[in-house]
Amino acid sequence: MTGEPMLDCRGLRRSYGNLTAVDGVGFHISPGETYGLLGPNGAGKTTTISMIAGLLDRDDGEVTVDGRPKAAIGYVPQELALYPDLSARENLMFFARLYGMSTADAKRRCAAVLEVTGLTDRAGDQTKKYSGGMKRRLNIGIGLLHRPKLLILDEPTVGVDPQSRNAILESVEGLSGEGMAVLYTTHYMEEAERLCDRVGIIDHGKLIAEGTRSELVSLVGEGDRVRLLATGNLAKAAAELDGHPWVRQASATEEGIDLVVDDARSNLPAILTTAAAADAAVRSVEVTEPDLEAVFLHLTGRALRD
Amino acid sequence: MKALWIAVGDLRRMFRARANIFFVFIFPMLLILVLGATFGGSGSARLGVVSSDSGPLGTALVRQLQRTPHLQVVPVTGAAALLTQVERGNVEAGIAIPPGYDGAVRAGHPVMVRYLARPDQSSQQLGETVRGAVARQAALLGAARFAVAERSAPSFGAALARAEQVSPRVPAVSVTETTAGTALFPSSLGQFDEGAWSQLLLFLFLIALTGAAAIIETRRLGVARRMLATPTSPGTVIAGATLGRVLIACVQALVIILGSALFFGVRWGQPAGVAAVVILYACAGAGAGVLVGTLFRNESQAAGVTLLLGLGLGALGGCMVPLEIFPPTMRRIAHLTPQAWGNDAFNKLVGHGASITGILPQLGALALFAAVLLALAAWRLRRVLVA
Amino acid sequence: MRATLLICGKDLKTRLRDRSAVLIGIVVPLGLALIFNSIFGGITGNSKAIALGVVNADRGAASARFVSGVLGAVGRTGVIAIHVEPTAARARALAANGTLDAVIVIPAGFSARVAAQRPAAMQVIGNVGNPISTEIARSIAGSYAADLNRVRLSVATVLAAGGSSAGSPARVQALAARAAAAAAPVAVADVSAKSKQLDQKSFFAAGMAVFFLFFTVQFGVTSLLEERNDGTLARLVAAPISRVSIIAGKLLTSFMLGLISMFVLVVATTVLFHASWGNPVGVAVLVISAILAATGIMALIATFAKNSEQAANWQSVVAVVLGLLGGTFFPVSLAPGILSRLTFVAPQAWFMRGLGDLRGGSLSAVWVPALAMLVFAAVSSGIALTRLRHMTEV
Repeated sequence: MTGEPMLDCRGLRRSYGNLTAVDGVGFHISPGETYGLLGPNGAGKTTTISMIAGLLDRDDGEVTVDGRPKAAIGYVPQELALYPDLSARENLMFFARLYGMSTADAKRRCAAVLEVTGLTDRAGDQTKKYSGGMKRRLNIGIGLLHRPKLLILDEPTVGVDPQSRNAILESVEGLSGEGMAVLYTTHYMEEAERLCDRVGIIDHGKLIAEGTRSELVSLVGEGDRVRLLATGNLAKAAAELDGHPWVRQASATEEGIDLVVDDARSNLPAILTTAAAADAAVRSVEVTEPDLEAVFLHLTGRALRD
Repeated sequence: MKALWIAVGDLRRMFRARANIFFVFIFPMLLILVLGATFGGSGSARLGVVSSDSGPLGTALVRQLQRTPHLQVVPVTGAAALLTQVERGNVEAGIAIPPGYDGAVRAGHPVMVRYLARPDQSSQQLGETVRGAVARQAALLGAARFAVAERSAPSFGAALARAEQVSPRVPAVSVTETTAGTALFPSSLGQFDEGAWSQLLLFLFLIALTGAAAIIETRRLGVARRMLATPTSPGTVIAGATLGRVLIACVQALVIILGSALFFGVRWGQPAGVAAVVILYACAGAGAGVLVGTLFRNESQAAGVTLLLGLGLGALGGCMVPLEIFPPTMRRIAHLTPQAWGNDAFNKLVGHGASITGILPQLGALALFAAVLLALAAWRLRRVLVA
Repeated sequence: MRATLLICGKDLKTRLRDRSAVLIGIVVPLGLALIFNSIFGGITGNSKAIALGVVNADRGAASARFVSGVLGAVGRTGVIAIHVEPTAARARALAANGTLDAVIVIPAGFSARVAAQRPAAMQVIGNVGNPISTEIARSIAGSYAADLNRVRLSVATVLAAGGSSAGSPARVQALAARAAAAAAPVAVADVSAKSKQLDQKSFFAAGMAVFFLFFTVQFGVTSLLEERNDGTLARLVAAPISRVSIIAGKLLTSFMLGLISMFVLVVATTVLFHASWGNPVGVAVLVISAILAATGIMALIATFAKNSEQAANWQSVVAVVLGLLGGTFFPVSLAPGILSRLTFVAPQAWFMRGLGDLRGGSLSAVWVPALAMLVFAAVSSGIALTRLRHMTEV
């Protein structure tokens, strides 16, 4: 991704009394990129994005957005922010007009959003009558209404059942497929891994690491674990495998061979070939890669999840 | 017993909001104070009097007015101020004794005292009272002037002195007064008495009605369902809910009764009678409150209905204006409310010094209200909770 | 501006759906006015002439002069109705049951005793429950008696000078004649004043309307607290609109709710209860000033609260205290001393005063009360606005 960043923030700082919630956070997001802000509860994720969305005054720092301020950003808060006494359509129309759309344009977009969120049939019912899942979908829908260039989602899957959660993740994937930039905060590592092009790890108000998944994982420097369940001449196979430069460790066990390698994904075919050539019959392969949890643990000494 | 715990829980919940303390205790006292200050001493009409530069005779006339029963003299600084006061209704009517009154009377000139009244009835009716007071003084002045005219006295002052001296010995045409009918208010009713019991009744019911909001909140929060899930019978839950409101009402009544007795010298009558009225009335109010709470889902809607019922029934029942001045039809309609019976009971207890046996009919009516309302409330609450 | 109107429109839609605003703003005050109206509509006392009975058991000159002369004149004023009854017993019974408010009885032999300079008495029978009527009857009789006494006193004063307290009957008669001919030294002239008071129906209509106004306008700024707690305030702040427009939208909602409520109440009470509010322009000026004052004060209170429930509680307390002090339930201006001055701490008092003055005077009478209410509005809104900015911070 080249060109002007969609979002560029530097040196964001915000304190509440003696507590510094965000201390010098800065990153940028390119157009069409999905950027994840990963950190445990209380790390400062919500405070950071509140400053970016213009909800919270900054103590220090700059935020530059490509486009009209606030109008270019779509905001989906963590708690459901809907007007319970209004219908979905009324909610959408209100926000559409608030974002400056003409009535005709607003009606078109409302219909489109209702379609996308699957709420067209119940569009006329007051939202207080909706199920939790429907409310969540509408909550996101409102953020998309004005075709923002950057969509900010604040932990959208907290407390959500697995099915709806999957649906949400799929829609976010779809959005980024269409070219929308997404800023996604979460404390779930799997989501960050699945959705995000780049991830910034935040802890105690500071951005402690940033990069693609591979870049971050390589910080740990552990290598991938490969466990082969095999029979045959295991010792010979292990020795053969050890000969590869990208194999850090190879040991034969009772049931097979345990390996520590670089980049298991690309090297897996070579592993199997080598093992076969060494007269070991591989029955199953298990690859365990270090994940972002491991990265976090490596960087902070604490677990990502409490 | 369990119902009592539920009731105490209700009480504690209610008093956590400081606004409730204001409405339950302070506001009724405030109202009693303001009512008493404004209308205490009713039976007196306020007369504004302007008498600057009117001399000793003018002062004497003002004193005559002050001595007139059921007339309250309010000094006013000038004619313009008097006009404003009369027009605004701050005084029922006004009288302006002209400057130089004294001199003019002594010199034998005709003197005009202006009586200022609004076009409405009571102002004009008051004119007769004013005329009467003036006439009494005029008798003395006339006699003095006559004596001067007949050259029987050297000066007006001497003549007046002689007239005053002679006056007690002159066989007079007098006016005697007797009363007919049973006294509605014995003249010994204090300034704050009547206002106090009517406001007590108004607020007891109003606060009891706000129990509706508590019931709705309990339903909405699901606490009621939780209570039913425990080995507590619906009957106990219902009893607890209503007992709570009755307790609150009794506490409120106690504070108002003691407070007004202490600060305003209000009399309440025989304690047994008062207790009986308050308890039965509180039960009726509690029943009404719980009933309203089962009819609405929304606290703010219930609040509107509470206000309407509380103030409306209060007005109908004679808590804002005494039942005595209701038109006959309205007075009958009024007795469809527990407030009216409560007012009657207190009237007897305080105004006529009755004991509890003297108010049995009123107690019976209140008991009927309580029974019906509580039964309805219990029935509705059971349906709503179990449904 | 556009955002302000959008927010106001959304809020109004929500409120009107809620029905509680409709209840408090229209149904309850109208209902109470209806109840008061039916109670006071036909109430005795103020609207009825005093029923004064007279029993003339005497057939003499003095009593005839009293009944036809004095009572005749009183009866013609229309504020006192004279009922002639045949016997004292019947009259007493009527006074006892309240048919007559008071009775004057002239016993047999009255005129003879008057002429003979002997003590004589007229009798007033009153109902203790009706003290003012009784006093009035007493005064009427007393005036007449006083005039008779003036003559006697005049004669006696003159005779007393001569050292001899009794003169010849001829002299006494001559003196009496001259004394009677002399005019009373002091006369009372009736001057009528205008009524700058609302009649009872209008008083209750206006009082209830302005009392509940202070509840109706609460829904505006308090909703800002609700939105903050619900999370929708964040959406408003995130939108490309100014924070001022959010605040303005909420204030406008309060104002509109108050305006709708007052308009409906003025029209409804005029049509249904024949309340007369007065000159429409004057009423409009006063109503708008009152709404602005109410909006400002209630908004100010809301800015001190942490959540909408707390705000509603405090607002209700203030609304009730001001309503009471301001004379919306009964005219506190009648109270003596500090209370009648304290009333003007409440904008409601200015509203009621304005309407009263408008009734008795010209349109210009509304300017001072309107200005007073606008001062309330300006001061409270000013302080509220500075605090509201902090409230929009999420």
